[in-house]
Amino acid sequence: MNEFLQLLWEPIEDLYLKFREFAPNILAMLLIILAGFLLARLFRALLRRFLKAVKFDAWSDRMGLTAVMRKADLWRRPSEAVAALVFWLLLIGMTVAGLSALRFRVFDDLAARFILYLPRIFSALIILVFGFVIAAFIGRAVLLAAVNSGTRYARLLAEAVRLLLTVLVLAMALEQLQLAPGIVIAAFSILFGGIVLALAIAFGAGGIDAARKVIEKEGAAGAGPQKDIEHL
Amino acid sequence: MIRRGEVARRLRGIGRADILVGIPSFNNARTIGHVVRAVQAGLAKHFPECKAVLINSDGGSRDGTPEEVERAAADDLQRLLVRHRVGPFHKLSMPYDGIPGKGSALRAIFEIADTLEARACAVVDADLRSITPEWLELLLGPVLEGEADFVAPQYRRHKFDGTITNSIIYPLTRALYGKRLRQPIGGDFGFSGRLARHYLGKDVWSSDIARYGVDIWMTSEALANGFRTVQAFLGAKIHDAKDPGADLSAMMVQVVGSAFGLMSEYHDVWKGIQGSQSVPQFGFPYTVGLESVNVNVERMLAIFREGIRGLGTIWQAVLGRGDLETLAALATERADEFRFPAGLWARIIYDYALACHRKSLPREHLLMSLVPLYLGKTASFILEATDMDPERAEAEIERLCLEFEAAKPYLVGNWR
Repeated sequence: MNEFLQLLWEPIEDLYLKFREFAPNILAMLLIILAGFLLARLFRALLRRFLKAVKFDAWSDRMGLTAVMRKADLWRRPSEAVAALVFWLLLIGMTVAGLSALRFRVFDDLAARFILYLPRIFSALIILVFGFVIAAFIGRAVLLAAVNSGTRYARLLAEAVRLLLTVLVLAMALEQLQLAPGIVIAAFSILFGGIVLALAIAFGAGGIDAARKVIEKEGAAGAGPQKDIEHL
Repeated sequence: MIRRGEVARRLRGIGRADILVGIPSFNNARTIGHVVRAVQAGLAKHFPECKAVLINSDGGSRDGTPEEVERAAADDLQRLLVRHRVGPFHKLSMPYDGIPGKGSALRAIFEIADTLEARACAVVDADLRSITPEWLELLLGPVLEGEADFVAPQYRRHKFDGTITNSIIYPLTRALYGKRLRQPIGGDFGFSGRLARHYLGKDVWSSDIARYGVDIWMTSEALANGFRTVQAFLGAKIHDAKDPGADLSAMMVQVVGSAFGLMSEYHDVWKGIQGSQSVPQFGFPYTVGLESVNVNVERMLAIFREGIRGLGTIWQAVLGRGDLETLAALATERADEFRFPAGLWARIIYDYALACHRKSLPREHLLMSLVPLYLGKTASFILEATDMDPERAEAEIERLCLEFEAAKPYLVGNWR
């Protein structure tokens, strides 16, 4: 009978011993995740205050970042969005660190991969932010130049330029993240090439008369000096 | 910097001078000979006892402009003059350094004025066809007689010419500094050696002031720093056709941008000034026949309307929703009924000055977005003034200036 009880007790004891051995790891994981959560919240609050102090929202408005966010259906203020992004990155990072405290090989690998992947995430983010700012700047420059030169559909032209640049930026960011790079490059080439070809055909076929008028106007202008209005 | 080789040697040989006349140029071979002869004749006729130097500050002309300056000589002075010239006359043509533009050319002239310790200086454009020897008397005389440090020009111009001057720069300068200088960016100025040294002491030569912005900068510096300012009636201003590559957006950015930039620098000077006063005038005003001017009002209105369609977001950020709605309503009016209210225009210019000061947008983009509004205002003026005689058209400009003066408290109150 004793032997039988021993037989029953041993696995439970083993399980208890293993749990006792493993419990500090679980506790460490929970503590790391909790500390990470608190740290991320604290960091988010500090970052919000800092961004508000340096008038990041106003800068984003000026540089067109806010407009890009609205187009992407993101309605938070840019400073809130940046703070939230940093919060989630910290929380994910600390969760992965906490899981690695369990000393499971699979989590160790996950943590190592996550850490190795972080630089790619940061560079993709930088590409996205600067890319959108530059796309907005160039789009606005094209819009202003087109309006001031009397081009019809100036807004359409500027939006087309901005769209092309946005596609380029997205493709660069995805390529940086190494998310199905083959598909991204192929899709980008097809899409970008298609847009450029479509524009070339549209302008080529539709712009013959316009081009003729420009050439005729140039010829007429070269025929003799005219006294035009002087602005200065 | 500019005292290189031959030029430095010749300047050393000259020593000091009473008068310096500068002619900035770039590809002006067709007209510069006439300008040089007029200057030479003017100096010989009106200042025969003064030691005078003529400097051509050239931007790398490829059409033989410097050679034309060397060749040009007033051979028939005997017929022109009652008295013979006594004082020596020197003539130099030299390239300038720095950003290509009129401002850099004038900087070189200021440096030489300082080197030669000139008492009075004048600058005249190289493309003038209407310059006469009397211009030199009018630009230099008040300075040599100790009556002025800065002589601004006043011309007879076609009522549709000088529209940036008439609708922005003149009303704005007058409202800001309280002086009725009719042509603040006329381009032909007289100034004292003291003022030339003041100009030279400013580090502005990597900005738009090195380009088109130099004229408004010279005028604003003179007004804001209390230099005695007068204006001289020079008659008609007729010059060679402008460079077709001269882009309106670039002019707007450089000239209006410089005026707005100076507002930030001299806020303490202009914030307390109310109303305006006339300045002493030299020269005898007379009427002249003027060339007719081609205007394309439909194109101006088309650009204004395209601006309403495309630039609404920018305009709303600068002007506010109320004025944007007024503009949108204006854009729907028929061409013959299109009228841009003077009060609205004054507020728009002040709002742009405020936006430029606050750096609400990249400066160049902000000022480029003013172009369609300016063309709308210009189209309105042309439609209004088509049947007006020059005096009546001038009265309209006076009315606009009074609107700027009346709206100035809005500018002062919102300047942070």
